[in-house]
Amino acid sequence: MNPKAASLFLGVALMFVLTAGPLRAQVATVTLSGTVTDRGRVLPNVKVSVRNLATGQSVEAQTNADGVYTVSNLASGDYEVSLSAAEGANAARVTLAAGASPKVDLVLNAVPSSTEVPVGNPAAAPAGTLPNAPSSSKTEPSLDDLGFSKAETQSNTAQQALLDKRTHMLKIHQRMGLITTVPLVATVITSLGAGGKSTSTSSRDLHVALGSLTGDLYGITAYYAIRAPRIDRTKKRGPIRFHEAMAWIHGPGMILTPILGAIAFDQKSNGERVHGIASAHGPVAIVTAGAFGAALLSVSVKF
Amino acid sequence: MNWKSLSVLLLLAASNLFAADHQWVLRQSTLTYHVSHPLHQSEGVSHSARGKGICHEGQCDFLIAVPVKTFDSGDSNRDLHMIQVTRGAEFPMVTVRTRLPEAASGSETITADLEIEFAGQTAHYRQVSFQMVTQGNEKQISGTIPATLADFKIDPPSLLTLPVKNEIPIRVEMKWIQE
Repeated sequence: MNPKAASLFLGVALMFVLTAGPLRAQVATVTLSGTVTDRGRVLPNVKVSVRNLATGQSVEAQTNADGVYTVSNLASGDYEVSLSAAEGANAARVTLAAGASPKVDLVLNAVPSSTEVPVGNPAAAPAGTLPNAPSSSKTEPSLDDLGFSKAETQSNTAQQALLDKRTHMLKIHQRMGLITTVPLVATVITSLGAGGKSTSTSSRDLHVALGSLTGDLYGITAYYAIRAPRIDRTKKRGPIRFHEAMAWIHGPGMILTPILGAIAFDQKSNGERVHGIASAHGPVAIVTAGAFGAALLSVSVKF
Repeated sequence: MNWKSLSVLLLLAASNLFAADHQWVLRQSTLTYHVSHPLHQSEGVSHSARGKGICHEGQCDFLIAVPVKTFDSGDSNRDLHMIQVTRGAEFPMVTVRTRLPEAASGSETITADLEIEFAGQTAHYRQVSFQMVTQGNEKQISGTIPATLADFKIDPPSLLTLPVKNEIPIRVEMKWIQE
């Protein structure tokens, strides 16, 4: 590969590095804060512990001079917020929703709260009216009367967090897939001036640059699909099966195409006719682009 | 009559006083939600609802519940996404409560006020009409609940950056048996 082409690859690789960072930063976390008081007086230097009820992991914070504590980078889920001081203790349970900035104020020595506060969801029904709550009347049927198993009716915040992460990653996968389509189509179009009897180096360079950009964006797209959490006991049905089957074609194709393209590029740059294995660059690229398009359409349009 | 017989009679009378007059049990059901997207029209179906109605002093209290995860749209990816956006792992059940007069069992149309708990929210639907067909001891009820995503504070899921419509009408078909 000549120096010009190498610099193009380097530029595109740099673009990949620059775009990957902001994408990682999009993972939604919650910042929890609140004020600790005792009979109306704010309490500084009180240790507050925030425990994830699903994982058991705790994060500790200390109140500032205004009695305010702040805990950042929490995942959504159920937490217990507790404080312990020489004067007494207290705790409250809270459900954190992604994207919210909830406040949980604690009062020292107050009666421990047993009410779950649906933070970030202020209009949610109180715990007493949640589906799992038993009927308050002897003449009204309750959920227990219907014979559902505990596994069916029990809340699973860890599973919800997993689903949230999966959706978040697949949304990025979807958007990146759409963005990748633009340079992919442009690469296919510019291939008309880059191969065959054409001797224009600028057409080839443009084709290489677009191909490299496509490859990098494709890599990011694939990363978010591969790394999205798998949900246990889910049998795959519907268009997603075709979508994934197409990935077994366009995935290897996206690796093979630039390798063959680099060989073809060298041959053309040396004034040779594209020959040998490099002559498969075009057909492989077309099959790859076709499989990519089919994968995109399979989850976009109902056939 | 001695005091033992009298106390037994009193106990029996008391138990009758507090006992339910009769109850209804949901034998079979099909619940179908409909979602509209500019590129798709999709439906999710569940046959897993369970329900019970307890009648007492001329009023019947009904509870119908269905696990969120039992709705099947034929696309596992869409179903998982539906469970995620509706917070179905955190709030796994959809419950519907309503109170109807016992006399309503004789009519062909029922108008019910529904209280639906779904996705951690409670929504009330007033005067929802259902058609009822009586076949022997069995009542077949059908109708559509005009639910929307906004009623349950659900962000409309999107495909290719296009969100689905807010309306998610739920078609209800049920068979109830009196016990």
